[in-house]
Amino acid sequence: METIAIDIRGQICPACLLITLREINTHKTVLRDGKARLVIKTDHRDATRTIPSTVCAMGYDINVTGRKGYYEITIGYRK
Amino acid sequence: MRKIAPLRINNIDELQKSNETLKRYIREKVNQLLSMMGTRPLDPAELDDSTLLDIDPIGIIADAFGQVLEHLEETNRKLINTKDQLQAVFETAGVCISIVDPDLRIISCNEKQRELLVSDLNEKEFVGRYCYEVYCGNDSPALYCPAIETIETGKPVFIREIKKKGRYFQIVTSPLKNRDGTLKGVVEVSIDVTEKKRAEEGMRQAEKLSAIGLLGAGVAHEINTPLGNILGYAKMLLKEQDLSDHHKEKLQVIVEQAKKGSEIIRGLLNFSRQSKPSLATISMNDMVNKVLLELSTQIERQGITTRKNLRPIPLVEADPLQIEQVLSNLVLNALHALARTPEGTIIVETQRTGAFVETRIVDNGPGISDTLLPLIFDPFFTTKPVGEGVGLGLSICSGIIRDHGGTIQAESDPRGKTVFSFLLPVRSP
Repeated sequence: METIAIDIRGQICPACLLITLREINTHKTVLRDGKARLVIKTDHRDATRTIPSTVCAMGYDINVTGRKGYYEITIGYRK
Repeated sequence: MRKIAPLRINNIDELQKSNETLKRYIREKVNQLLSMMGTRPLDPAELDDSTLLDIDPIGIIADAFGQVLEHLEETNRKLINTKDQLQAVFETAGVCISIVDPDLRIISCNEKQRELLVSDLNEKEFVGRYCYEVYCGNDSPALYCPAIETIETGKPVFIREIKKKGRYFQIVTSPLKNRDGTLKGVVEVSIDVTEKKRAEEGMRQAEKLSAIGLLGAGVAHEINTPLGNILGYAKMLLKEQDLSDHHKEKLQVIVEQAKKGSEIIRGLLNFSRQSKPSLATISMNDMVNKVLLELSTQIERQGITTRKNLRPIPLVEADPLQIEQVLSNLVLNALHALARTPEGTIIVETQRTGAFVETRIVDNGPGISDTLLPLIFDPFFTTKPVGEGVGLGLSICSGIIRDHGGTIQAESDPRGKTVFSFLLPVRSP
């Protein structure tokens, strides 16, 4: 499965959410087919709340992992 | 809703002013959408006007909403499919399923429940009514109602055996909860164990009959000889010329009692020596006509009305004498039950029930109480006064029908209706 990595460290909400949504919209087809997943790197704590709540409502599964100094949000389509 | 003034540009100042108004409007609308998504508003210091237009937040959010709608649509479709599948399982389950609210009012039930426990009511008529009225035919809940226990404890309850509308059920009640954990209702799953119970009763009956038969044969053999001697000597004495009337009277009592004892012994021997049926092809409809004709004198003397409801049925393979004995016994029992019933009626019906021919003898006599009903096929059980019946008739009938591979049963409404029915296997082609 392809991994599409987006680094938005240094950005704060609502930009984090808008950039994530834009990437999801752009890669909608491969994400929904299960051929790719999106991995977002963010150091903005609020984004670990706003991104999952919106993206889950769109039918995606979310996994948030804390890394050293940032968070990694993995997004894949829920089958 | 605030109205935006139409653009009428006369100079640069006005153009800039109008531009500001539009940008403010866009930011406001974007913030409104972001707020709906649970995030903070746009910060002009972070996102200047030029970047705002580049990012196109309204387009992004619109696409995201499009995906939310698609996901909802797909979820709805899946939910409808799942609901249809569950509904099909619910409706076609071989067990009775019912859902009642915490006040014991029916919310819904499946086809099996309707078939066995809802009589002559359509869904609109029974939904919302109390379950104990519709399913149990009672004015109030039973003392040990499992649904009430589940409502009170919030836990599942299992009842090994409960009688509803003449049938026996095993019941499991489970709580149905809202997402917040409060009780929404009770799911009641009932398994009809009537046939299993009847089969078990038949087995017990057979074992009991076999033991009593052996005992009866032994006792009858041992008592018959001394009883014969008593009768013989008493009769001899009666022939003596010089006996006083007083002594003759006493001897007569001895003879009568010895005869009565002999009758009981004969009954016991009949009971224990039930022979294997000698099979022939017979029509149960012809058999019913024959027995009713034979008993017509007694029926007329008692002023009983008889009705026949004989449907076209296949032939059965049975011992004609034994089946006649069974039918006569059941009709005679009905006549006895109707002795004090004004406008007594006996209905004899035949019909095909699966691989069997069913014969039913229905009377409108006083009925048999729930306490006595399980005992009526027991040997020596009788409701007749002492000396009027030995109590072996129905035991013998039960043995005969069992030997033919059939079943016999009795149902009674103590308010005044008794049905004896027996099944005989249809003749093999």
